[in-house]
Amino acid sequence: MFWLIIKRIFSALIVLWIVATITFVLVRIVPGGPFDADKNLPPQIIANLKAKYHLDKSVSEQYVLYLARLAKGDLGVSYKYVNRSVNDILKDAFPVSCQLGLLGLVFAIVFGIALGTIAAVNRGSTLDTLAMIKVTLGISLPSFVIGALLIFVFGIQFKILPVGLWESPYHMILPALTLAASPAAYLARLTRSSILEIIQKDWVRTARCKGLSFWQTIIKHVLRNALVPIVTVLGPLTAILITGSFVVEFIYAIPGMGRFFITAVTNRDYDLIIGTTLVFGLILIIANTIVDIVYVMLNPKMQIEG
Amino acid sequence: MGASLVKALVNIFNKFIAFVFCLYLLTACTQIKPSFEKDTLRINIGSEPPSLDWHVAVDSTSFDVVSNLMTGLTQYRPDLSCAPACAKNWEVLDKGKRYIFHLREDIFWSDGKRLTAHDFCYGWLRMLNPNTAAQYAYFLYDIENAFEFNTGKIKDESLVGVKALDDNTLEVKLKKPAAYFINLTAICPSYPMRKDIIEKWQDKWTDVEHMVVNGPFLLSRWEHEYKIELSANPNYFEGKPKLKKIKMFMIPEQATAFALYENNQLDFIDNRSFATPDVYRYKSSPEYLNVPLLRNNYIGFNVLKMPFADARIRQAISMAIDRSIFPLILRRNELPTSSWIPPSLSGYSKNSGFVYDVNKAKSLLAQAGYPSGKNFPKVSLLFPTREDTKLVMEAIQDQLKRNLNINIELVNQEWKVYLATLRRDAPPMFRSSWGADYPDPETFMNLFTSYSGNNDTSWKNTQYDKLIERAEAEQNSKLRAVLYARADRLLCHDQAVIAPTYLSTQNAMVKPWVHGIALNALDLQFFKTVTIDNEFKSGDK
Repeated sequence: MFWLIIKRIFSALIVLWIVATITFVLVRIVPGGPFDADKNLPPQIIANLKAKYHLDKSVSEQYVLYLARLAKGDLGVSYKYVNRSVNDILKDAFPVSCQLGLLGLVFAIVFGIALGTIAAVNRGSTLDTLAMIKVTLGISLPSFVIGALLIFVFGIQFKILPVGLWESPYHMILPALTLAASPAAYLARLTRSSILEIIQKDWVRTARCKGLSFWQTIIKHVLRNALVPIVTVLGPLTAILITGSFVVEFIYAIPGMGRFFITAVTNRDYDLIIGTTLVFGLILIIANTIVDIVYVMLNPKMQIEG
Repeated sequence: MGASLVKALVNIFNKFIAFVFCLYLLTACTQIKPSFEKDTLRINIGSEPPSLDWHVAVDSTSFDVVSNLMTGLTQYRPDLSCAPACAKNWEVLDKGKRYIFHLREDIFWSDGKRLTAHDFCYGWLRMLNPNTAAQYAYFLYDIENAFEFNTGKIKDESLVGVKALDDNTLEVKLKKPAAYFINLTAICPSYPMRKDIIEKWQDKWTDVEHMVVNGPFLLSRWEHEYKIELSANPNYFEGKPKLKKIKMFMIPEQATAFALYENNQLDFIDNRSFATPDVYRYKSSPEYLNVPLLRNNYIGFNVLKMPFADARIRQAISMAIDRSIFPLILRRNELPTSSWIPPSLSGYSKNSGFVYDVNKAKSLLAQAGYPSGKNFPKVSLLFPTREDTKLVMEAIQDQLKRNLNINIELVNQEWKVYLATLRRDAPPMFRSSWGADYPDPETFMNLFTSYSGNNDTSWKNTQYDKLIERAEAEQNSKLRAVLYARADRLLCHDQAVIAPTYLSTQNAMVKPWVHGIALNALDLQFFKTVTIDNEFKSGDK
């Protein structure tokens, strides 16, 4: 386990360096710069701005400067939000996205696995059809439609939940449900097919012959084994959910980091673009490592190969 | 067996639903009656202000906040004329080249220190200092040696034409007379600044615990990307505002902000929270407000690109556009215009632009060698990707096809890509707009001088340049208006370098318990005179 972690840290550093380099190059290739605005600035003022942010230097010098800063954990400064560092921006926004993402993840797992199990054990029945209709809707309806529907029903018609803002735990319910809708549907489908596959195994029959009730068999044996493919997708899913969703944060006015994935690009806020990408990459790596560990816990036969 | 599992799962599911329902009920108690705070105004500013440092900020969101935190030498009256503020009066000397501002002695910063002329002097020099890298430093380029100092040609700031003669007297020397200069003393970039605060806190001086201001409100809370709270300044020189608090939310989605307004969780919303169908739906509501802004939209022609080197073709196109259709398409009460100077500014003349006249347009096109649009090359019209802009562009494309039989290819690009294309190599036709920085025709007319960095038409006309230079220096307001009207006619009619289309509008909704909100054409929002009818708001009345 120790060597696994050391190996993972080493490979994570290399991956992050590659991500930073590719993003660094890409943002500079895209037409338009951070100081382009409808009011074109005099060249002298652009020169002052570029000097302030070291953009007057050659791209290779900028790259070296960036890496030197990055090595110290400094993700740079925002050109849009003057005097705010990328570290400050992400430090404010990440906990919010993380909170919302974790709640969304809980909703997704609870609803997804429950729905998938119900569908699997009632294969071919009306319940199965209903569950699969719900799954198809969850996957095919984009989150802005689900969000708008939830706001309309619970926020405007019944006025029982807030339509937006981030003031109390109640304000988290609708955004977390919106965020969870699509992953829940995906998990449900995965759970269903996984259970259907496992339920036909001989050892399931053996467990039943041993005298275990159907309920016990499903929970203790079938579900535990069916979870392996689900855990596999939970890694990237967690990374996606806790780094924030642009759409959900946008429609519910939540101050998370999801919005920066889009606005940083439209603003050509170079350091912020790289910063958000790196944070996403880092979370993805961490989540995948945790998934590997959970694999072993679910099935000790599996060996970790770094 | 399957049935028993289903039963168990349904049972669990039911318990979960019951739990969520209990949560809903709990929530309902708080949501149906939102917590009521007296004398608090709740608004939506749409997004995070990029900076509250008024020397660095360049956007309307930041200015909406700063305008309520600070006061300059002068301030705008409701009609946007300049009234004394920190300056009790001023003298214009040397034929408009020198200004002496006499400051009030009873104005204090929020930390109790007296405001002096040195604060203005320091603020303006800080703005011009190249290290500040202030984008709007060019607003002060009319001041003697300001350009040279900002561009590093001179290092000695004492050579710049702004001086505090004593604590209460500020002298400003201009390099040439600029009749519009007084307008600059009312806007954010010219606000004073405290040297000791900047030196002590540096980049962190706009943090809530460090920020020192002299305006009607104080910054009391700033949750980035979410909310700013302002509280009344008890030491404000015009008296403490009646509003105790302003909550400025940053809700990017119009539908969400509008739903919050409908649920009485916002008291005032504007374009940022107001989608077109809602504007249309609420047009006759007593809560609805509308004002044309000093923001003009236009189709520009690149006069170096064929076939637009010929003024007759530009005139024909401008004449063949029926501008009355734009408010019907955009449905926000836009004001159609064919002149560049908006009607509310001096220098506006009905005769500056064209009246819609298809026959005359056809004959001009024929004179230019394209009878009935025959052999007219297919030209591209560039515009930034936006749904409302697309509608307008399609309408223009359709009108030009029907009226002149010419084919226009619409090309849309993402905002920054569009800007880069425009500045690198503007296409034959492009859509653009310009919002006034201050209520003076200069802010519009300077745009198309041969030396303007914002003139994307490549048009250079010495007659136009001379008219603008004369108008800028002219102290007689009537004569000045005449000069601008002549320049406007040259631009939009005789040379038809641009075809102005319509003035954008501000659309707002105000709850009946809020009094004193007045929209203005500059789209600046001042809340110092706003009051709340608390009884009405809480539902007791």
